[in-house]
Amino acid sequence: MSERLDRWADPPLLVLASLADEPKHGYAITRDVAETMGVRLSAGTLYAVISRLESRGLIEPLESEDRRRPYRITMAGAQALAQQSERMSQVARVARERLSIRYGWAPAGGPA
Amino acid sequence: MSEKTRLNDSPAPPHRMLLARAALALYPPAWRARYGDEILALLEESGGGPRAVASLAWRAVPAWVWPPAHLYDRPARMRGSLATVLLAWSMLAGLGLVFAQLTQLQGYRPAGHPVVGWSYPVFDAGFALSALVGAAGGLPLWLLLLRRARREHRTRETAYLLLPVIAPVAFLVAVRVTVSLAGGPGGVSAGWFLAVTLFGFAAAAAAAAGPGLALRRLRPRGQGVRLAAIAAALAMGPMLLAVAASATATLGLYAWASDFAGHRDGVVVGGYLALVAAAATVATVSAARGARAALAGPRGG
Repeated sequence: MSERLDRWADPPLLVLASLADEPKHGYAITRDVAETMGVRLSAGTLYAVISRLESRGLIEPLESEDRRRPYRITMAGAQALAQQSERMSQVARVARERLSIRYGWAPAGGPA
Repeated sequence: MSEKTRLNDSPAPPHRMLLARAALALYPPAWRARYGDEILALLEESGGGPRAVASLAWRAVPAWVWPPAHLYDRPARMRGSLATVLLAWSMLAGLGLVFAQLTQLQGYRPAGHPVVGWSYPVFDAGFALSALVGAAGGLPLWLLLLRRARREHRTRETAYLLLPVIAPVAFLVAVRVTVSLAGGPGGVSAGWFLAVTLFGFAAAAAAAAGPGLALRRLRPRGQGVRLAAIAAALAMGPMLLAVAASATATLGLYAWASDFAGHRDGVVVGGYLALVAAAATVATVSAARGARAALAGPRGG
């Protein structure tokens, strides 16, 4: 049985990644995260994360005419996302290399 | 929490939105004012199933315990926390005094149960230490506010600030009058005891609400507020010890003191413990919020 590691997905990172291309409101973020990253964020989790990211200056709210306020990533948020992505790439690279050596594993579409 | 599923959204039915609003009511007012409408809009669009509503309710806990810094200025948070802690602490003190009056002040000791016996001195020490720490930390702020209210001729604020003195004195006078008029060889009747107890809680609430209202109207900032907020958090340590001791003694009497009728009533004991737990939780969370604001960096102080 394969162990699912969904809980390792870091919601703040998912939200920052979702906002990296363009500003989005809450519902658009949950849709984008579900469709592109395969993780569904509940409303409680999403707004706990938005509040924390806003508090740290990593995202900022934009003006809105209705109740769906959009958010955009700040420069500090983009830098934090870039640094974390770099670390994750490093972890992924090490994991791939070791899996390949020990188990002969290759990513889908790659050489066995 | 997050879960890996595909979105299959449909608008939320009205009854579910009612539940979502109820869950949202659990959040701090400032948080609700800032994000409430957005969350409701999101739930209306996404359907907000029972798990989403449950998750929303559960997330209220960290929103209280770790309030986002951008929603509050630090002095306002410290003032709010102080007012809440004062009220909850007073209720705990009242409940503790009722416990003491019904047990140790009547000289009751269930034989052979040292746990219950030891609970009394632990309760006394914790209660006294908590009152001392809270008073020492709050007195400078109280004096500061009293001087300011008098200097600015703010009669109402002065009266609010004097309530912690006036209300206990009024209570003691009421007790004295009740005992002299209605007391017999075995003390006062149960009805009079209940009346005096209720008046005691009202006096405690007034004594705590007075400074809370003054804090709200005078909006002090600076070191006095910081010191009081830190002292309130420190005072909660021994108070929680006293609370644990009174709960231990209450449960001990319930389990072992079969000849002590008042403590064999499960409804009374359960009600008492529920009230104590609620007041202790409110006081502890508020004290932690105030202390975090007081100990944060210099911004906004």
